Amino acid sequence: MAETFNLPDVGEGLTEAEIVTWRTTVGATVEVNDIVVEIETAKSLVELPVPYAGIVTELLAAEGETLEVGAPLIRIAAEGEEVPDPGSAPEAASEPAEQQSPEQPAAEEKPGRSRSARAKKAAAQKREGSERGDSERGNSQRDGSARDEQKTPTQNEALVGSGPKADSASRRVRTRSTAPDLVDLEGLEIAAPASASGTYTDIADIVARASPPVRALAKRLGVAVWELVGSGRNGQITRDDVERQAQQKREQRASGQMPAPGAPAPGRRKTTPAEEGLLFEGPREENIQVRGVRKATARNVTASATTVPHVSVFKEVDVTRTMELRQALKKDPSYAGLSVSPMLFAAKAIIWAVRRNPQVNATWHDTHYTLKNYLNLGVAAATPRGLVVPVIHEAHAFNTRGLAAALTQLAIDAREGRTTPGEMQGGTVSITNIGTLGLDSGTPILPPGQASIVALGAVRKKPWVVEGQIVPRDVMVIGGSFDHRLIDGDLAGRFISDVAAVMEQPGLLID
Amino acid sequence: MAVLTCRAAISGATGEDHTVQPQEVQPVQLLTPDGKLAENEVYGPFIAELSAEKLRELYRYMAMERRLDAEATSLQRQGQLALWAPALGQEAAQVGTIAAIKSSDMVFPTYREHAMALYRGISPEELLTMFRATRHTGWDPRDHNFHVYTLVLAAQTLHAAGWAMGINQDLRMGSVPRDRAEDEIVVACIGDGATSQGDVHESMVFASSYELPLLYFIQNNHWAISVPTRTQSRGPLVNRAQGYGFEGVRVDGNDVLASYAVATKLSDEIRAGKGPKLIESVTYRMGAHTTADDPTKYRSSEEVELWEGRDPIRRYRSWLSSADHADESFFAEVDAEYKDLAADMRRSVLAMEPIDLERVFDTVYSEPHRQVETEKAWLKDYEAGFAEDQTEAGTAR
Repeated sequence: MAETFNLPDVGEGLTEAEIVTWRTTVGATVEVNDIVVEIETAKSLVELPVPYAGIVTELLAAEGETLEVGAPLIRIAAEGEEVPDPGSAPEAASEPAEQQSPEQPAAEEKPGRSRSARAKKAAAQKREGSERGDSERGNSQRDGSARDEQKTPTQNEALVGSGPKADSASRRVRTRSTAPDLVDLEGLEIAAPASASGTYTDIADIVARASPPVRALAKRLGVAVWELVGSGRNGQITRDDVERQAQQKREQRASGQMPAPGAPAPGRRKTTPAEEGLLFEGPREENIQVRGVRKATARNVTASATTVPHVSVFKEVDVTRTMELRQALKKDPSYAGLSVSPMLFAAKAIIWAVRRNPQVNATWHDTHYTLKNYLNLGVAAATPRGLVVPVIHEAHAFNTRGLAAALTQLAIDAREGRTTPGEMQGGTVSITNIGTLGLDSGTPILPPGQASIVALGAVRKKPWVVEGQIVPRDVMVIGGSFDHRLIDGDLAGRFISDVAAVMEQPGLLID
Repeated sequence: MAVLTCRAAISGATGEDHTVQPQEVQPVQLLTPDGKLAENEVYGPFIAELSAEKLRELYRYMAMERRLDAEATSLQRQGQLALWAPALGQEAAQVGTIAAIKSSDMVFPTYREHAMALYRGISPEELLTMFRATRHTGWDPRDHNFHVYTLVLAAQTLHAAGWAMGINQDLRMGSVPRDRAEDEIVVACIGDGATSQGDVHESMVFASSYELPLLYFIQNNHWAISVPTRTQSRGPLVNRAQGYGFEGVRVDGNDVLASYAVATKLSDEIRAGKGPKLIESVTYRMGAHTTADDPTKYRSSEEVELWEGRDPIRRYRSWLSSADHADESFFAEVDAEYKDLAADMRRSVLAMEPIDLERVFDTVYSEPHRQVETEKAWLKDYEAGFAEDQTEAGTAR
């Protein structure tokens, strides 16, 4: 069975090569990978090894001739096969082999290579070709150019075009074009991203289409950027777009076509929000960019609430003695200028209770948890910028006055927005004083990496039973949230009870 | 022979000449080009420990790579591979180094680490899928601790640094057993040309700052396609290590025993927690950069002949014989085995199925994604827009 080796693309996307030297002759015996020809491409001189073993029956191009990639180069007959006389017509050598092979399984002597429908079609095309014009075909093959065979696919086609095309001459023929600007598919059930709509309502979209100086200019000239259609590249809104719009509005106002800003609509008085069905003056809906503390808070609470199973416990406790101690300390000159709040005593109580229940001061890591032998106390603070949780590092090392000073400084920094990101890192247990908001209790969300947060309620005068008598006492609710993966209700209860015990009897703090 | 580690060559400016004269560094060599084993106090003991069986194994993998290389080059010339990047001449550098590290150590290769890939159990067929463009890669990196071939020059050095940082994090967090994490190192392979990439700088800065368990394995094969190493680096590349604050050793990459000994010593030190190290393996690319390149256009045949004389396999084979570690029957057996390997390789390459585009799209994200679906639809439409008779040709595009 004869095999044809077509000219492969030996570079990356080459389309043709010149035959420089034949290294074999018709009638010679070749082994797989023997070098049979040297060719020159646009890139280099290349020696081609032959992929078949057998006897060379035909060299299909002359030295000096340029062949297109994919054109037949050399024909090899299997050894033992009748070798045709090189001088006879080419059809005699190739046609019978091509015609009989599809039907003859015996011809499939090489494993991994089977005759396919494609090869049948190739043979059929060849037959057509020979019927079309035998004499013409014969001539073309005799002079070695074999042009009419160029598009004949054979088995084991060469890989053509692995890289950038040197030229487009051999590109596959297209019957139609495919829209290169297809950006979305209709009828897909997967939700489109919000910004894929063509409108300018999305803030991110406006940010993408108008540069900061352009947005600043628009703001100064009172132009609504989202109403503009950009004339720049990729729909970018330019300074000209803004200025043109401003100019247009000025002209419209001057000609009375458009009201001046703040003026009542022509023909009627200025409406109130209630008349427009609104709650207050302003647009009906407004998109407000999330940034800064709001963004960080959102990220943190989402991460914490979705990954950490929270458990919360509460205890109501009589803190009269703590409030008495507070009054005493307030009068102490060494505490002058320092804030002596229930928070101070709660912080002390937490440190005391953590010593007795070390496991509340830990971080969970699925395969293990890290137990901390120190306490960095996070203190949640509501500030004009939003919720921040600055940390008093090594809180257990402070004495009571030192802790009071630290809490005072921390409150001032937080209120003035001077808390640095570094000061919010590394907390191990946190405290949140919701009592300042007049609330009694709540279920706070744990800061990331912490297993415990204590919530302090407001101190209220309440009727309380003391030794069988109802008496007015200072009472507050102490509660908190805990990482249930690490802390069961049992431990959470013991810890909160210990904090409550100190608040009820601050004398416990005396070692 | 002296121990030759990296030493800065800053000799101080003399008079008006303000350029720093780089000092030539003699590579560590144990086997002379004529196959004699030299005495070496530092590196010799690593070789003395090797069994005859291990020594023969080194030869096996070098010979296997060379046979695979020849067959792959032929397959490309016959149009059956889109491209091939030969490793001819670099067999000793690669086999010596990969044999010195543990199979649990993650390797980040370039696209020319064929001998290393074979050593890690990647089959010739898996190795060739990418070069026939039937898959993006032929193996799962996790199966062999061998990352996919990286075509973006030097990008793998960043991946390697990231991987090594991960090992350090594992250690710190205790998320894997301590003895396992402590025992792990990472190997980043680079060619001499890629050392000019910014990525390498970033990787080395991080490796040094974080004292990463990372071994840089530079194969200086003298040519970055058509640019000689001396154009990109005035001094030996090994000297760069010192600038980053770690040790580098220059080794004769055509000497498999020296390559093994140097890599063993350095990887032991990295495992002992001494931070990153660098090997500059001086070797030579005997073939073209890839099959799309013609090296005769930019280098002289004298140079190629010079390196022909330093052939790594011939050198090692002559020593194996003279030292009685292998006899002629062994070499005959290896030759026969790889003749079969070449035939199997050819069969499997011809039988490879073209890439399934659908699957490529479906593995971009773990969940259905609108943009990906849109692009897939576009491509389908595009593919369907070709004339019938010609779509039959070139299915493996």
